[in-house]
Amino acid sequence: MTTSTGTGTGPRALARQRRRASVARFWRQYRAERAGLYGLAVLALCALLALFAPLFVGSDVSSVTDAPGRPMQSPSAEFPLGTDQFGRDLLGLVIWGSRVSLLVGLLAAVLSVAIGTLIGVTAGHFKGWYATVMMRVTDWFLVMPTLVLAIALATVMSRSLTTTVIAIGVTTWPTTARLVRAQTLAVETRPYIERAKALGGGHWHIMSRHVLPNVMPLVLAQTTLIISSAILAEATLAFLGLGDPTVVSWGGLLQDAREAGAVSAGDWWYLVPPGIAIAVVALAFTLCGRAVEAVLNPRLGVSR
Amino acid sequence: MGTNDQTRSLPRGLRLVAAAGAAALTLTAGLATPLDPAPRQARAADDGKKVLTVAVAQSVDSLSPFLAVRLLSTSIHRLMYEYLTNYDPKDNHAIPGLATKWESSPDKLTWTYTIRSNSKWSDGEQATAEDAAWTFNKMMTDSGAATANGSYVGNFRKVTAPSPTRLVIELKKPQATMTALDVPIVPKHVWEKVSDFSEFNNDKSFPVVGNGPFVLTGYKPDSYVRLKANESFWRGAPKFDELVFRYYKDQDAAVSALRKGEVSFVAGSPSLTPAQAESLEGAENVKVNDAPGRRFYALATNPGAKAKNGEKFGDGHPSLLDRRVRHALFMAVDREAIIDKVFRGHAVEGEGYIPPRFSQYFWKPSTSQKLAYDPAKAAELLDRAGYRKNGDGKRVGKDGKPITYRVLCHATDPNDKAVGKYLQEWWGDLGIGVRLECLDNVTDPWLAGKYDLAFDGWSVNPDPDFVLSIHTCGALPATPKDTGATDNFICDKQYDELYARQLAEYDPAKRADIVKRMESRLYDLGYMNVMAYPNAVEAYRTDQIKSITTMPAKAGNIYGQDGYWSWWSAVPADAGGSSDNASSTGVVVGIVAGVVILGGLGVFAAMRRRATAEDRE
Repeated sequence: MTTSTGTGTGPRALARQRRRASVARFWRQYRAERAGLYGLAVLALCALLALFAPLFVGSDVSSVTDAPGRPMQSPSAEFPLGTDQFGRDLLGLVIWGSRVSLLVGLLAAVLSVAIGTLIGVTAGHFKGWYATVMMRVTDWFLVMPTLVLAIALATVMSRSLTTTVIAIGVTTWPTTARLVRAQTLAVETRPYIERAKALGGGHWHIMSRHVLPNVMPLVLAQTTLIISSAILAEATLAFLGLGDPTVVSWGGLLQDAREAGAVSAGDWWYLVPPGIAIAVVALAFTLCGRAVEAVLNPRLGVSR
Repeated sequence: MGTNDQTRSLPRGLRLVAAAGAAALTLTAGLATPLDPAPRQARAADDGKKVLTVAVAQSVDSLSPFLAVRLLSTSIHRLMYEYLTNYDPKDNHAIPGLATKWESSPDKLTWTYTIRSNSKWSDGEQATAEDAAWTFNKMMTDSGAATANGSYVGNFRKVTAPSPTRLVIELKKPQATMTALDVPIVPKHVWEKVSDFSEFNNDKSFPVVGNGPFVLTGYKPDSYVRLKANESFWRGAPKFDELVFRYYKDQDAAVSALRKGEVSFVAGSPSLTPAQAESLEGAENVKVNDAPGRRFYALATNPGAKAKNGEKFGDGHPSLLDRRVRHALFMAVDREAIIDKVFRGHAVEGEGYIPPRFSQYFWKPSTSQKLAYDPAKAAELLDRAGYRKNGDGKRVGKDGKPITYRVLCHATDPNDKAVGKYLQEWWGDLGIGVRLECLDNVTDPWLAGKYDLAFDGWSVNPDPDFVLSIHTCGALPATPKDTGATDNFICDKQYDELYARQLAEYDPAKRADIVKRMESRLYDLGYMNVMAYPNAVEAYRTDQIKSITTMPAKAGNIYGQDGYWSWWSAVPADAGGSSDNASSTGVVVGIVAGVVILGGLGVFAAMRRRATAEDRE
């Protein structure tokens, strides 16, 4: 992995070459993880569907005024997954909903991991009273039930996607912080860090040039894993009626179905497709995350 | 405001707390339901007692008649205590309750009620005029006791009981609502021991002494309210021996319980959804009662909130002060589509302020006055008002910025959200942006005047005085910091004059005429745009309830009546056995989903094992 570069001739070219080699190695090892490949295939499919949804379903799928069907129609040739309470095509809505669910999942995971990494690296680097305070804060967040905290946050803020992203991001970072701090402590005991310090490297230099690149693999794996829980959390919040009611998301569809009384009316087509979509995507991210973790796990990485 | 759940004022705060609580509870209930759709406790018919179980969701705010304002608690008070007058279940006219007859003096300022001598409190004491006088006097002198019904006695000068059967009320000004005093009369000998009326909730010692058709015998918050039949009720004992309101915070759970026969009646809050009603219509031994409701469902516009002292506050959009804009907005609302798509036929298109069910007060606009659905005309009206489209097709306000209205909606009401989606598209076509602000607690922005439009709705009583009073200048808060009885800060001189006139008019026909003119004025102002009158959609088991009185008798509701008619008149069916062919499709769906997820996990676990096996090498 990256260490200090001081070899005189073309350090940049050298670094680039080394990075390319490590990416190739990563991919070779990832390919060996079969479950990870399945997950990746599913994800690629979902990403394509979400990206190109405007081409084949179009944003007017969520329009209530020109809904094509009657409310709550069961699946038919015209509407393969039936219609919702407004008479909108559920197949189109599930595809359209993937955009929001994936987007919120990604953003929330990135926010969560960013906070976790920032706190983890600084706490591991600065030690002393700062680390003590930050770790107690982390502990506090760790013991708080995540969902309850997220519900509380989402309730006090106005209903919007940003709120959901913040509510999830702000409540799920502690595990990342703990992991990253541990790795930071391990990295900082290595001799080259001491050398860098002796050569006059400041805090910022040490953290950004030496520690961060070393914890990055861990962060990457953590991100992939958190995405799946973030998607589930987003669906949960939306299902509980804490999402933005004007956007179509999978959790929101489930909430609509519940409010419309689809559960006791037995309109399964309104409930099952978004539920399965959530489960499949969350599973795919978990599979990928585990595979990435297996490849990059720092404890295994020593032997490489 | 959201209102279905309350009969009357003091509104939002409590209502919203209720809504928030309900939302919180729905979380837990919602999560529990798919796994546990059939709540335990079968219907207790073993010991021969005939029990009528009603599924409810609304929490009881207080069991003290001096504090309770919610629909459930006030309905329970109807059952526990007799009021001076009652409403005829057929056509809502005032009929004898505790009072057998009443008359006003020629100067319209003194009312004399004759109190019946055949009504006894459940502890054996005679109910007299003294009890009634004490109840009213307490409300006039103790602000704690005036919390819920203080508005009824605001105009009283003096209340006396010259004899056990004679009650005399002297008024400051004539008041047409004297035969519609919805105040429970409590036994003096029990209640005079209460020291603090603002704290006493009447829920500690059971049975609670009363003289209504039922006696309260037990209560556990958010669990049940139990009442037993009052055998010595003067109008005749109820046919059921016991009446239990049992809590189902999740409506789907309540419907499942009805399917299984664990409850006899489900009202829904505010009503069953169209999907639930449709599925129940096909169910065996279940009757769905789809009746014209007593509620209106409206779009309220912020008229520039101000207090009685003239101070303005809040931040309503200035363009809404232009009547043409308000009319244009409402003309772009396709009410037929709302009835058809959102309520799926379980509602009636909105016209005037008071629902058609109260036929003597129902008013509808003439064809020339009517703001019919006409988007083209709406656009023209906006152009004329000076709100033209800019290059992006958005209409701009006088400040040069594109107009976006904030619409307050109740996060707990699915109809608000559904109609909100339509508004976004209809007004979007006009070039006006809509931001739906769905909150559990709409009270704070509402009272602060920080909204542009809002979903609003009230239950209307047979006497419309209350719902009319909330739009008078007198209902405005004293200062911006106070809370007024006002609904959405409407203050119109012409309306106020009419309001005062109808209150002083003792001739029913003339009074109805003035009320209709008030509705017409309100319609023209465009601050209260009634979109629909939602039906009361409720269901009961015909193998447990043989017959039950609806109000009005022809096509009326059962739950939340103005009176005790439904539960008092309910006749038990002979066959007490519960049918057990409960097919809750919810369970099936739950199981299918569970199997799918478990299957997924299984595949995952298998792959994981293989993966780790590979790793181990």
